[in-house]
Amino acid sequence: MSVGSIFFASANGSVSLGWSEWFAAIQNSDSQHGELIWRLRLPRAMAAWVVGSMLAMSGCLMQVLLRNPLADPYVLGVSGGAAFATLLGMVFGVAVAFLPWLAMLGALISILIVFGLARGTGPWSGTRLLLTGVVTASGWAALISLILSLSPDNSLRGMLFWLMGDLSYASLPLWSLGVLAGSFILALALARSLNVLAMGETTARLLGESTRYMLWLVYLLASILTATAVSIAGSIGFVGLIVPHLMRLLVGSDHRILIPAATLFGGLFLVLSDTLARTILSPQQLPVGVITALLGVPLFLLLLNRARLKGV
Amino acid sequence: MTSLVCHSLDVSIAGKNICSGLNLELGTGQFWGLLGPNGIGKTTLLKCMAGLSPPDGGGVLLENQAIDKLPRRLIARLLGMLQQHTVYVFDAGVLETAMTGRHPHLSYWEREGPEDKQKALDAIRVVDLEGFESRSVTRLSGGEARRLAFASLIVQEPDILLLDEPTNHLDMKHQIRIMDQVEKQVGQQQRCAMVALHDVNLAARYCSHILMLFGDGDWQAGPVTELLNQDKLERLYQCPVEVVQTSSGQRFLPGK
Repeated sequence: MSVGSIFFASANGSVSLGWSEWFAAIQNSDSQHGELIWRLRLPRAMAAWVVGSMLAMSGCLMQVLLRNPLADPYVLGVSGGAAFATLLGMVFGVAVAFLPWLAMLGALISILIVFGLARGTGPWSGTRLLLTGVVTASGWAALISLILSLSPDNSLRGMLFWLMGDLSYASLPLWSLGVLAGSFILALALARSLNVLAMGETTARLLGESTRYMLWLVYLLASILTATAVSIAGSIGFVGLIVPHLMRLLVGSDHRILIPAATLFGGLFLVLSDTLARTILSPQQLPVGVITALLGVPLFLLLLNRARLKGV
Repeated sequence: MTSLVCHSLDVSIAGKNICSGLNLELGTGQFWGLLGPNGIGKTTLLKCMAGLSPPDGGGVLLENQAIDKLPRRLIARLLGMLQQHTVYVFDAGVLETAMTGRHPHLSYWEREGPEDKQKALDAIRVVDLEGFESRSVTRLSGGEARRLAFASLIVQEPDILLLDEPTNHLDMKHQIRIMDQVEKQVGQQQRCAMVALHDVNLAARYCSHILMLFGDGDWQAGPVTELLNQDKLERLYQCPVEVVQTSSGQRFLPGK
């Protein structure tokens, strides 16, 4: 837990430490710097933190749900629905402020489609859920390609940024904090059950879980987290896949530790990535999704390699 | 003590009749061997007895209540099952995995206490995995993973143990070790066990009762002395069986 709080502190600090006037500015919010920090950077950093945490937590849940270490928050098509709705909104010139709501709507529609089709009447079937989700995701991907190919060139850039994940217009609605906090508490309460679920459905039932309800609960929880994150910042890749794995390598796979660690590190990771995305070629901004991949991939491969050498 | 009763139980899978009208009571101190050729439905029957899949007819009673009406958590405190295959996907530690046996005994926010940890360590010692406590389960051999799954079952402390080929993948020493432990659980702890086996001689050495599945719903159950003989085994496995007298009783070999 203490490690977690350090993560949290450094996550918040890392945003602003680069600026020497930070301390003065934070005390004087009316100054030019103060305005910059309080009105622009802090909200953006907070949004990044929340989105990163949500994606990392959702990734942990999806990996247990599908019992597949390759699962990420987007594998079941949640982000596809959100992306399609958002791009459609951009094509029809919907105001920027409404795009997150469209994204949320698209994500929820996608969740309901997958939920409805995969549920069936029989017992829980992870394979059926995975297939339904993956096929739905490909359907969305096709529709997205269709929109991209038909759109005028001048709107393409904005669309690509959104698809790669972009925090420039991100604002942090208060309810998303509620979603994060609520999910976190629920996920922690379920953490020991998640450990058992990770060993397979039958094992979990034999150890006293009513897996049918539990697995749908995990699915809905992960999906709502993803939907919220995507509606704030587009589909930022790699965070949801790599952060849970990094944390598995570092703290082990007990979800009572893994969930908080991934949540905190996911936030930290995305804040750092976004800071880099803003500064590396400033004043030009890069899509944060590119940075998460560029940072995440080598970091992950390095740790994986070290774990192999150590022979744990 | 907890009892498990099958009354006029009909079980089938994919149109194949496994048993019809099975009446059976697993009483305290009884060590049942479940015998039958490959693919006859031993696993399906055990799953049905564990309440994992519904029967076609009749029912399974756990403590005089229909098992499909009981919440899983309550069942898990009374009944545990060792599955035939143990596949670990995620890297968890051996001790951590043995400790999952405590899951049904703990409430949502409760963590395992020192007592729970001690139980897990004891079980790890019983299955001869000492020194492996912090090793990842994905790096265990087939036999080691099997023994770990058994350790986790002991940690669960169920009164009714259902074991699906517990000696799979195990060398002779560890086969004896596991079966000794089941015998101890049944004898000293006043529990009962139903163990699916392919080794007739392990059944002869340990079991007090035998349930034979002949196929087409045909079954026979009773004390080991009535069922483990040349005629029954030849009928069961459809091959000649030779009986050998040893100092510890009758043993059975494939005949010519």
